[in-house]
Amino acid sequence: MNKDPLILIIDDEPQILRALKTILTARHYQVELANTGEQGLALAATTSPNVIILDLSLPDMDGTQVCEQIRSWTQVPIIILSVRDGETDKVAALDKGADDFLTKPFGIDELMARIRVALRHSEKTIGNVTSVIHAGGLEIDLVHYRVMHGNEELHLTATEFKLLAYLASNADKVLTHKSILIHVWGNEDADHVEYLRVYIGGLRKKIETDINHPQIIRTEPGIGYRLVTSE
Amino acid sequence: MQPILQINTIQKFLPLGLIRYSKLCDTIHEYNHMKSFKSHTITIVGNMLLALVMAAGVTLILMPLSDYLGAQIVALVYILPVLLSVYFLGLFPAIVAAIASFLCLNYFFIPPTLSLLVHQAQDLLTLLVFLIVAVFTSQLIAKARQGMKLAKQREWEATSIYQLILSLSGANNLESIAHILAQHTFKTIPSLRVEILLQPNFETPAAVVENRKFRLPFEEKHLIKYPLLTSRSYKGEIKIWVDHPVVSGEEDRLLSMYANQGALALERIDFFAVETRAHILEETDQVKSTLLSSVSHELRSPLAVIKASVSSLRSGMIEWDSDAHLDLLSSIEEETDHLNFLVGNLLDMSRIEAGALTLHKKWNSLAEIANEALRRMQKLLEDFTVEINISMDLPLVFSDFVLLEQVFTNLISNSVKYAPSGTHIFLSATHEGDYIHTLVTNQGPGVPEEDLDRIFEKFHQVNKNDRIMSTGLGLSICKGVVSAHFGKIWAENRSDAFVFHFTLPTKSEDNRLPASEKVLNE
Repeated sequence: MNKDPLILIIDDEPQILRALKTILTARHYQVELANTGEQGLALAATTSPNVIILDLSLPDMDGTQVCEQIRSWTQVPIIILSVRDGETDKVAALDKGADDFLTKPFGIDELMARIRVALRHSEKTIGNVTSVIHAGGLEIDLVHYRVMHGNEELHLTATEFKLLAYLASNADKVLTHKSILIHVWGNEDADHVEYLRVYIGGLRKKIETDINHPQIIRTEPGIGYRLVTSE
Repeated sequence: MQPILQINTIQKFLPLGLIRYSKLCDTIHEYNHMKSFKSHTITIVGNMLLALVMAAGVTLILMPLSDYLGAQIVALVYILPVLLSVYFLGLFPAIVAAIASFLCLNYFFIPPTLSLLVHQAQDLLTLLVFLIVAVFTSQLIAKARQGMKLAKQREWEATSIYQLILSLSGANNLESIAHILAQHTFKTIPSLRVEILLQPNFETPAAVVENRKFRLPFEEKHLIKYPLLTSRSYKGEIKIWVDHPVVSGEEDRLLSMYANQGALALERIDFFAVETRAHILEETDQVKSTLLSSVSHELRSPLAVIKASVSSLRSGMIEWDSDAHLDLLSSIEEETDHLNFLVGNLLDMSRIEAGALTLHKKWNSLAEIANEALRRMQKLLEDFTVEINISMDLPLVFSDFVLLEQVFTNLISNSVKYAPSGTHIFLSATHEGDYIHTLVTNQGPGVPEEDLDRIFEKFHQVNKNDRIMSTGLGLSICKGVVSAHFGKIWAENRSDAFVFHFTLPTKSEDNRLPASEKVLNE
C-alpha cells in the first residue's frame, strides 16, 4: 500500500511549524517537526523522511552545516527556507547538497510545486530516468540530442545543447551558476558567470516565444537558473 | 661654526610633555637669532669705516679751499658726510662720521690750524653747534629711517601673514593645509626645501616644496624647525633647509606666526570633524524618528486590511464561494506582498544608511534583470501597458542582480503609484560610451523642477496631501544602489511624460570587462 509521503520540517519558529503542519496535513502528507538542527538531524536519521524542509537560520547550528551532515549519508531531497538577501547562504547551502529553496514569505502553491518536484527527483534517482522533457512547447530528447519546437527541429550549438540538457535533466529544480558552469564549461570556468549570461541569452532567443517574458528558462536572481516544465 | 642643536633628540623628549618641547624650541629660536646678530656686527663695522672715509674725503676736498672759506661754511659742509652716513649707513656710522668731522674741522680749519686748540670763543661756538647739529640731526633721521624700515617690515609681515591666513581659510583638509603652509614658507624665506610633518605620521612629510638645487645629503646645521603647536596639542612641525643658516629676527617671528596659524588651521579641521560627526548623529536621530512614524503608519495600513479581511472571513457572515470571499482573499495576499516589499525596502535603507550594503557583483544582463523585475510585478502592472526595449545584446554590467532588480522594482512601483492607470510604462536602455543609460518612462504628472533632485532624498514625497502614501524610501534606495554601482540617477519632466534615468558603467571598478570565452569545441 502506498503510504503518504513524510515531510520533515526543521524550523525554529513555532508559527511557521504550526501553519505548515496544518496545510501539509490537509494535503495528505505526514509531517514531522523539529525546532533545532540537532533534533532535525536525529529525526532525519530515525524517521527517514521523503522530503526535508530546512530553515537556514537555526538557533543551534548553521543551516548549511545541517545540509552537509544530512548529505553525508542520504540523498533525501532538501528544500531550504531563507529570507530575501540571503542569496549567499542559499547558494552555499545549494552547493552543499540542498536541492531547492524557497524565499520567505512564500505562497503555498510554490511550496507544493517544490515538494512535488523534490519527490519526483527522488523517485528518479531510485529508478526510471526520463529521457524526453517537455517544457513550454519544447521537446528535449536527451538520448537523441534533439530539440523540437512543435514539428520543427531547433539547431543548437554543442554548448547550447549541453546547457539545455543539463537544465532539462534537472527539470524544475534550481541549479546554481557554479554547478552549471562546472558541468558545461568545466571546473576552471566555475566563476565565469558572464559565459552563462551570454549563452542563456542566446538559448532564450532560440527557444522562448517572447524573449522578454521567458517561460522555459527562469532566472533565479543571485542564484542560478531553473528550467520550468509544462507540469 | 657652532654645531646646531640636534633636533632629532626632541622627539625623544616628546612623551615627557609638550612644555619641554616648546622650551627647547625657544632655545632654537634664540640660536637662530644669535647667528643673525653676528653677521649684523660685521656690516656695522664696515659701515663705520665707510663713514670715516666720507669724512676724510670732505676734508681732502676742503683743504685747498681753506683760505677762502670761513669756519662756519666749512662746518656746514661737514654736516654732509654725517647726513649721508645716517641716511645710507645707519646711526652708529653717522656718529662716527660726526666725531671724525668734528675733529677734522677743529684740526684743519679752526685756527690755530693743525692743532686741537681753539682760541676764539666764536670758533668754539661754531664747533659746539656743529657737534650738536650733527648728532641731533643724525639721530632724528636715523629714527625716521628706522620707523620707515619698521613700517615696511611690518607691512610685509602683515601682507605675508594675511595671504597665508587667506589661503588657509579655504583649506578643508589636513593635506591642503600642509601644502599651503609649505608653499608660503618656501616663498617667504629663501630656502632649499620645506617639509611639513604632521602627527601621527612622522615618517612621511604631509607636504614638500623644494628648490631644484636641493641635493641630499644635507647638513643638519642648515635645517631649521618650527613646531606646529596650539594651546591644546602638538600637531607637527615645519622643517626648513636653508642655504645659509641665517634667519633674521623678522623672518623668525614671521615663521613662528606661520607655524602658529598652521597649527590653528589644523586644529580647526579637528573641530570641524567633531562638529560634522555631531551633526550627522543629530540628523540620523531625526531620520530615525521620521522613519519610525512613517513606517508605523505605512505598515499598519496593509495590516489593517489583512486583519479586517481575515476576521470577516472567520465571522461566517460571508457565503463561501462568493465573489466577495475571493476578493477578500486576494486583497489579503496583495497586502501581504506589499508588506513584504516594504520590509525589504526598510532593510535595504537601513543597510545603505549604515554603510553596510554589501554588493554581490557578477556580470549581469540588464535585460534579464528588468525582465525578472517585470515578471515579479505582473499583478501590480495589470492596469498598465508595459513596453520594454532593453536589448539582450547590450554589454553585461558588473552588478548585484538582486539590488538592481530592486531599483527597477522601485522605479516601476513609483510609476504605478503616480501615473494614472491605463497609461504606458516604458523601459529602455542604450549603450553610451562606457555606460549603459536606462530610462523608465511613465505618463504620470511631472514634479516641480526644484524638487527633481529632492525626490531621491529620504522621506521626500512631492505631494504630501496625496492619498497615495509611501515611506519615500524607494527612490532613495535607488540612488543608494546606483551610486554603489558608480552610476548616476536623475529624473526629468517631459511634456507628456515623467522619466527616471540611471546609468551604470560597463566596466567593473578595476576596469575589467567580462572575460571572453575560450574557443569551445563546437
